[in-house]
Amino acid sequence: MRLSIQGLSLGYGRLTAVDDVSLDIESGDMVSIVGPNGSGKSTLLRGIGRLQRPTRGRVLLGETDIRSLGARQVARQLAVLPQSPDGGADLTVRELVYRGRFPHQGILQRLTRADVEAVDWAMKAADVELLAARTLAHLSGGERQRAWIAMALAQQPRVLLLDEPTSFLDIAHQVEVMELLQRLNHDGITVVAVLHDLALAARYTRRVIAMREGRVAFDGAPAEVMEPVGLAKVFGIAMTVLTDPESGLPIPIPRSKASLTPRDAIATDRP
Amino acid sequence: MTGMAAESPKQGSALERRVPARLAGSTVVLLMCVTGLLAVSLLSMKLGAVHLSWNEVWSGLTSDSEPLARNIIWQIRVPRLVDAMLVGAALAVSGALLQGVTRNPLADPTILGVTAAAGLASATVIVIDPRVPQWAIAAACAAGGLIGAGVLFVIAYRGAVSPVRLALAGVALSAFFGAAIVGLLASSRTFLQTSLGFLAGGLYGSEWRDFRAMLPYLVPGFAAAILLSGRLNILALGDDVAAGLGVVTDRTRLAILAVVGVLTAMAVATAGMVSFVGLVCPHLARYTVGSDNRALIPVSALYGALLVSIADLIARLVISPSEVPMGIITAGVGAPFLLYLVRFRE
Repeated sequence: MRLSIQGLSLGYGRLTAVDDVSLDIESGDMVSIVGPNGSGKSTLLRGIGRLQRPTRGRVLLGETDIRSLGARQVARQLAVLPQSPDGGADLTVRELVYRGRFPHQGILQRLTRADVEAVDWAMKAADVELLAARTLAHLSGGERQRAWIAMALAQQPRVLLLDEPTSFLDIAHQVEVMELLQRLNHDGITVVAVLHDLALAARYTRRVIAMREGRVAFDGAPAEVMEPVGLAKVFGIAMTVLTDPESGLPIPIPRSKASLTPRDAIATDRP
Repeated sequence: MTGMAAESPKQGSALERRVPARLAGSTVVLLMCVTGLLAVSLLSMKLGAVHLSWNEVWSGLTSDSEPLARNIIWQIRVPRLVDAMLVGAALAVSGALLQGVTRNPLADPTILGVTAAAGLASATVIVIDPRVPQWAIAAACAAGGLIGAGVLFVIAYRGAVSPVRLALAGVALSAFFGAAIVGLLASSRTFLQTSLGFLAGGLYGSEWRDFRAMLPYLVPGFAAAILLSGRLNILALGDDVAAGLGVVTDRTRLAILAVVGVLTAMAVATAGMVSFVGLVCPHLARYTVGSDNRALIPVSALYGALLVSIADLIARLVISPSEVPMGIITAGVGAPFLLYLVRFRE
């Protein structure tokens, strides 16, 4: 299901975090949003996921403005996972995943066959079947993240939005989560993830959108857009970009701030 | 942790497998509560300023052969017992809803000022007209409770959630309304004696008219609490997750606080400012059935009914034929029990 972001602006009080952003995200794509802290990337994701009301512009899911749909209607097509959710510590993984059925359930929340099947599928897809009876508080960071992803999958979404799904995870678990997202994407789910790690973004997503000061700085396939000058402008730090000998994908490596060329320094000058 | 029994992923068909082991625990809890309530009911009918024999209780309950016993049971003890159970259930459900919606285990209608808001409304109408009918007191309390809950929402919840702001707002509201109540009662000397019972909370002289006044509010209040319990489960996952699952978080909170306002108000209209029931009962329920609000809220209601009916029985008996305010007993029994749970069961 295609997402069309049209002239979207979002802010907090008088502060503008996302400024007039327009993007189309094709159905079945796997997209990362990168950028420095405060660049508006998480806010953009919140806007797309209907967690925050835009000050201007709109987001179309297919042909429909998500603001004109009910919250549950949107939740049946689009799942959004915030950064390190902290609730539900005393729930078992299975109980948590069942919570993901909420948008499909009536007021009495009677379980249907469809609920059971969706939960079984979600737990299998996120590989948490063996954790079903464990409580969230007793899981490792990587296991917990998979459990939350399973909950989002139980919504049976066409689009999955994630805010920094790999933060606080060690390298092996980062790869595990990204490979899970890649599998889900192969199964037809559109994935949009805010990522801090540029190497992960380059390796696992087909399109990288870089945000800077609330606007899109660059946007395209990793091999095309991840080049030193563009990255330096976005992050305000000199970058070297190597090429992964196996995949041919770019591997950005940060250098020291002092080694910015004068031109880059002007472009990235921030107080 | 009790009530956290693991579900077996291996046995049974998909739907059977889904039935949580907790449910089996709930059945035991349910049976124990019903047995407890039955025992308290029988004792409450038998004991009091006039002690009845079991024969008198039976014939008073079921026949006209002993008019005195029948009168004592049906006009005094049964209505008071029913009132006690409803007051307890209303307070306990209010506490469970508040603890859920604030994600704070210390939340309770007294601490957050809802009790005092309803109490101020009650005290105001009684001081203006001492002969005011009970239904009008209930209506005034409902209005007061709703206003208290509304103020809480506006101060603490508009925009982002802040547990600290909520707690501070609650303490401030509680102190403000509490001071207003004491000021009001102190300035009207005639009520000083009954004021004490009102402030500490008690069921002295409560009867069928209290029941009739509460009923139109309690029925929709309890129904709404049950219907909102699923959404409360989702809210417990955090605001952003809840919004992502399609819960309109602010609207849901406002609805829950409104239910709290109405339920608490009915307890205040009938029993005055009973504290502690709303705090301790949800904790007891959580220890026994876990944190799923669809089980937690009904079980809290049962514990509330049990606690207040036991407390009222004790309050009637300790210095019989006179009595102490029931609220003293709920605090006296409940507080040490909560301390025990906090210290030894976590």
